[in-house]
Amino acid sequence: MRLRISHTTTYRYEPPATGVIQILRLTPGSHDGQYVAEWQIDVSTDSRLDMHEDAFGNVTHVMTHGAIEDLTITVGGLIETHDTGGVLRGTDERFPPSLFLRQTSLTSVNPAMENFARELRAESETDALGFLHTLMTQVNEHMTFDEDPTNSGTSAIEAFGGKRGVCQDYAHIFIACARSGGVPARFVSGHFLRSDGTVNQQAGHAWAEAYIPDLGWVGFDPANCICTTEAHARVAIGLDYLGAAPIRGTRYGGGAETLTVSVKVDQAGRPGQSQWQSQS
Amino acid sequence: MLSRTAENLYWLARYVERAEYIARTIDATLRVTALPAAYIGKTNEWESALLTAGVSESFFQAYEEANEQNVVEYLSFAPQNSSSIRNCIEAARLNSRSVRTALTSEMWDTINSAWIELQEVWNKGTSSREELAKFLRFVQEASLRFDGSAYRTMLRNDAYWFSRLGLHLERADNTARILDVKYHVLLPEEEHVGGPLDFYQWTSILRSVSATTAYHWVYRETLKPWLIADLLILNDSLPRSLASCYGNLVRNLDQIGVAYGRQGPSQRHARGIRNRLEHSNMNDIFQHGVHEFIQEFISDNSRLGEIITKQYLI
Repeated sequence: MRLRISHTTTYRYEPPATGVIQILRLTPGSHDGQYVAEWQIDVSTDSRLDMHEDAFGNVTHVMTHGAIEDLTITVGGLIETHDTGGVLRGTDERFPPSLFLRQTSLTSVNPAMENFARELRAESETDALGFLHTLMTQVNEHMTFDEDPTNSGTSAIEAFGGKRGVCQDYAHIFIACARSGGVPARFVSGHFLRSDGTVNQQAGHAWAEAYIPDLGWVGFDPANCICTTEAHARVAIGLDYLGAAPIRGTRYGGGAETLTVSVKVDQAGRPGQSQWQSQS
Repeated sequence: MLSRTAENLYWLARYVERAEYIARTIDATLRVTALPAAYIGKTNEWESALLTAGVSESFFQAYEEANEQNVVEYLSFAPQNSSSIRNCIEAARLNSRSVRTALTSEMWDTINSAWIELQEVWNKGTSSREELAKFLRFVQEASLRFDGSAYRTMLRNDAYWFSRLGLHLERADNTARILDVKYHVLLPEEEHVGGPLDFYQWTSILRSVSATTAYHWVYRETLKPWLIADLLILNDSLPRSLASCYGNLVRNLDQIGVAYGRQGPSQRHARGIRNRLEHSNMNDIFQHGVHEFIQEFISDNSRLGEIITKQYLI
């Protein structure tokens, strides 16, 4: 499937900031289930954009800019994907999977979650894949999708307690529980083509990957309760949201910062609705 | 487009590329053998030229030993060698004649006049080194003209993409073969490193892919075997590197896939190879063995040729 993706982030600083540094993890890489046919980054002002790779192999751009009032970063392109049943092949793996057992503050567990994970783990005995599938279903049932109560800094514990959250919280809970059950897991940020035909989205998507010795890394999307499909375009990975966040940065000076994000994910080549022009 | 047409375009480009590559191999070997034996060691360079051209077996069925005269003759003109320059140009011309209407007149002219020159001027082969140099120059220029006229005059549609597929697949194969035959020279062994033997051997590897100047531009260093391997395998700014060939193969296959509205095994296979190249680094390659890496690449590459043939050309 060919996905056309466009992801726009707009910052407005009032009063203007005297300097801005941002780290962009907005550039997807290719692997066996995904081929990036076209990709580009557009920044609304002249600024430095230095390309690096972080420790996990994500392509990052460091953007630095002087005094600035507003800033728009648009990235987009075409990605060709195909379904691999969630199994990931041909990625650049730089660390042993056990690294991804590490807890972070966003993905730590409390006793309630530990019990939750332990029960599921005991049920499925030695079957790690079965454990992850039940975990995904259980997380999906436990949570209600709601954009209001959580933000990008909400931890798995808070979201689990509040039973409400967005895809990112689902992923954090899944990762925290999987790790507590002894399965390496990591956070993935990316894009998702919605099956209901909605093209405009308010944010990118997030899901998780877990490591199973016989299969390798497998993608689990607890918010949609599916393993990753050709509708998923994978951009960056990390231990948690902070490691894979599309944009992280800091600014000097300035006051209030307003941030708007808009994402469009569509199937390329899908015929749009043609409209007849008529005489008025 | 008919599979038949696609096949002709694909093989046309492959044969032209192959002719040029053989000419380069002869040229590079001539330069090495012109040096005193003390510089180049006891290896028979003509044998390794046959190996890189992949015709060693058939050659030794006809000849006892490999020397300048019979190898040059065999690689350039021998009718029984299906990859000789003469046969390549003839095959290229035959292919282009059957798809004459799919080519631009510039491309047809290039191939046709090369073929005519081959008949009229080079019919009897070459009798001196000077003539041979002229002949090799003629072959390389024909290929440059063909490539340039395709690039400048062809419509960017499936006809162009299929001819590019042939070119890049052949090119990747050729570069990999050089590395395969010469890999022992590239292996860092204590007693060898830095000797004149290596220096001339390395230069000859670079020369056969016309990358001597490129090497110095990229690394600004004396010749080091691992850097040469890095340049020829992983550096995608060098047009003859494996990475660059695969960048192009993947792009052209993708364009074909988009134009036909359908992706298939050849797209997936090519992307797989490109991913592996993209995620490799020279340390790992040396650690796991250059020879194994190249062997695997050559078989992957010819597998891609088979898959393309199956998916599009028959």
